[in-house]
Amino acid sequence: MNQAEVSKLVSKLRIKVPPKHRKLPNPKGPEGRLDKLRKTVTGLIKYERIELNYNRADEARQYAERLISEAIRHGDCHKPTMDTANFWLLEKELVHKLFKVLVPRFENSSVAYTKLYNAPKPQYARVLDKAVLELKGNPYPELGNKQTNNKYFIQNILLDAAKHEYRQAKYAEVANKIGQAGNETSPVNTENAEKLNEKPMSS
Amino acid sequence: MKRHILCLTTRLTQNSLIKTLPLSRFLSSKEAIDRRYHLFMLEKKRQYDKVGRIEKIEVQYKGLPNECTLIMNKDISTPYDCARHLSQFHMETSALALIDNTIYWDMHRPLTENCTLELQSFTCADPHQVNRAFWRTCSFMLGACATVAFKDSVPVKLHSFPGPDIRSGSFIYDVDLPSLGNWQPTHQELVTLGAEYVKLARLNEPLERLEVGEDLALEMFVDNEHKTKQIPSIAKANGKVTLYKVGKHVDISKGPMISTTGQIGRVAVTAVHKLNGSEDNDANQLYRFQGVALPTGVTINHFAFSILTDRARKLNTARSPVQRAADCEESESIAMKA
Repeated sequence: MNQAEVSKLVSKLRIKVPPKHRKLPNPKGPEGRLDKLRKTVTGLIKYERIELNYNRADEARQYAERLISEAIRHGDCHKPTMDTANFWLLEKELVHKLFKVLVPRFENSSVAYTKLYNAPKPQYARVLDKAVLELKGNPYPELGNKQTNNKYFIQNILLDAAKHEYRQAKYAEVANKIGQAGNETSPVNTENAEKLNEKPMSS
Repeated sequence: MKRHILCLTTRLTQNSLIKTLPLSRFLSSKEAIDRRYHLFMLEKKRQYDKVGRIEKIEVQYKGLPNECTLIMNKDISTPYDCARHLSQFHMETSALALIDNTIYWDMHRPLTENCTLELQSFTCADPHQVNRAFWRTCSFMLGACATVAFKDSVPVKLHSFPGPDIRSGSFIYDVDLPSLGNWQPTHQELVTLGAEYVKLARLNEPLERLEVGEDLALEMFVDNEHKTKQIPSIAKANGKVTLYKVGKHVDISKGPMISTTGQIGRVAVTAVHKLNGSEDNDANQLYRFQGVALPTGVTINHFAFSILTDRARKLNTARSPVQRAADCEESESIAMKA
C-alpha cells in the first residue's frame, strides 16, 4: 500500500510510447544518442516544424512532449524542471520560450502538444522514412488539406457534373430499352413503359 | 516572311477580297502580336504617368495571419502588393481579391480608394467566383496557346470565348483558321497543343489588366476582323474595352482573372471541333478548342482525371458564334460576356 500512484509522479503523455527505446546507433554510444535527441528537441522548440528521419522524429517527440508537460505541471519556479529544460534545450533563450510562450499556449490543451506526419519520399528509392514533426498552434500554413470534400471546389464540381451526365445517359438508355420492349410485346404495356420513362428522368 | 506574304496574296486573289482588306492586314501574326504588346505597354505607361502626385489610401486587410491596416498608393498599389507585405504564401496562393465584401478584384489591378481587402484562394470556403475566374483564365490562355502553337504559314484569328461554365466540363476558345479547311487534329497534335499550353503556363506570368478606349482597342486589333467587329458593341456601355495581357499575348475579356498563370496546374487540351456557320457570314467556320484544367496543388487520381478529359472531348454545347445568319449581334454579346 505504500506504493505511490505513478501518474502523480510522472505526467502521462498523450501519445503512444513504445515499450522499448530506439538506440539510434552512433559511435559515441548512449551519450551520442542523447546528443542527437537534444539537438532535435532544441530544433523543434526553436523552429516549431522540422523535417527529419522518422525514427529520430518519433523518439525526440516523446522527450519534447514530456518536457512541455513537465513545464506546464510545475511552472518555472521548480528547480528540477528548470534543470531538465536546461539539459534538453541547447540554446538558453529557448528556456524562456518554453515557459513564456509554449506553456500558455498548451495550458488548456487536452490533446498532444506535437504532431507527427509521414513525409513523402521518392517512389522507388531505398531511403529512410521521413517525417515532419511540428508543435501544434504554429504560425505556418497547414500541411494536410482538411477540407477536400467541400463540394464547391473546382475538382468536385467537375466530377459532380460528369457523374450527373453519366447518370442521365444511363437513365435515357434504360428508358429506351423499356420503351422498345413495351412496343414489341403488346400495346397494353405501353402505358407502363411511358410511366417508367418519366420516372428516372424526373429523379 | 516572304513566303507568308506570298501565301496571303494567293489567298486574297482567290477570294477576291482585296477591296475590303486594308493594307494593315498584311501584318504577319507574330508582328501583330508584337505590335499589340507594344501598344499595350505604351498605354499602360501613359496611364501610370497620368496618376501624378501619389496619394495614400488605407487598405484594411481581413484574414490570416491577423487583421491589419496597410497604407498603399492610390491607383498604383494592387492587392498583389498588399499580399507581398504579408508573406510569400499569400502571394502564391491568392487568386482573387474581394474588395469591401462585394467586388471581386484582380490581383494585379490597382486599388482606387480606401477599402477592406480579403484574399481568396482556390481552397477558401466558397470559391465560386475564384473558380469562374480560373475557368475564364484557362480559356484566355487557350487563345494564347492557339496563337503560338501553329506555324507561321497558318494564320490564326481568335474569335471569342463565352463566359465560364464549369459544369459543362471544358473551357473553350473559338478560333478561325482560314487556311485549314477541314482539319481534324490527331492525338499527337492535341498532345502538342497541351504541351504548348503547359509551357506558357509554367512561365508564371502575371495577368495584367488595362482599360483602354474604343479607338485604341480598334487600333490594336486591326489585323483581326472578328475582334474589330466585336469591339464597338463591347464599348457601347462606357466607351471602354477591358484588355488582359499575359506574356506578349493581349486579348479582350471582361474579367476578373486569377493572379498568375503558375496557378494553372494539371491541364489537357482535349479536342478541337469544327463549328459550321452559314454561308453569308464572314467566318463561315470556326474551330472550337476545348480543354480541362485544375489549379496548382489540386491532386487528383489519374482515373478521375481521365473521366474529366473523356468528358471534355465531347463537343461543348455553349452557343456557337457562327450558327445562324443573323448572328452578328449574338457573337458580339458572347464576346461581351467573356
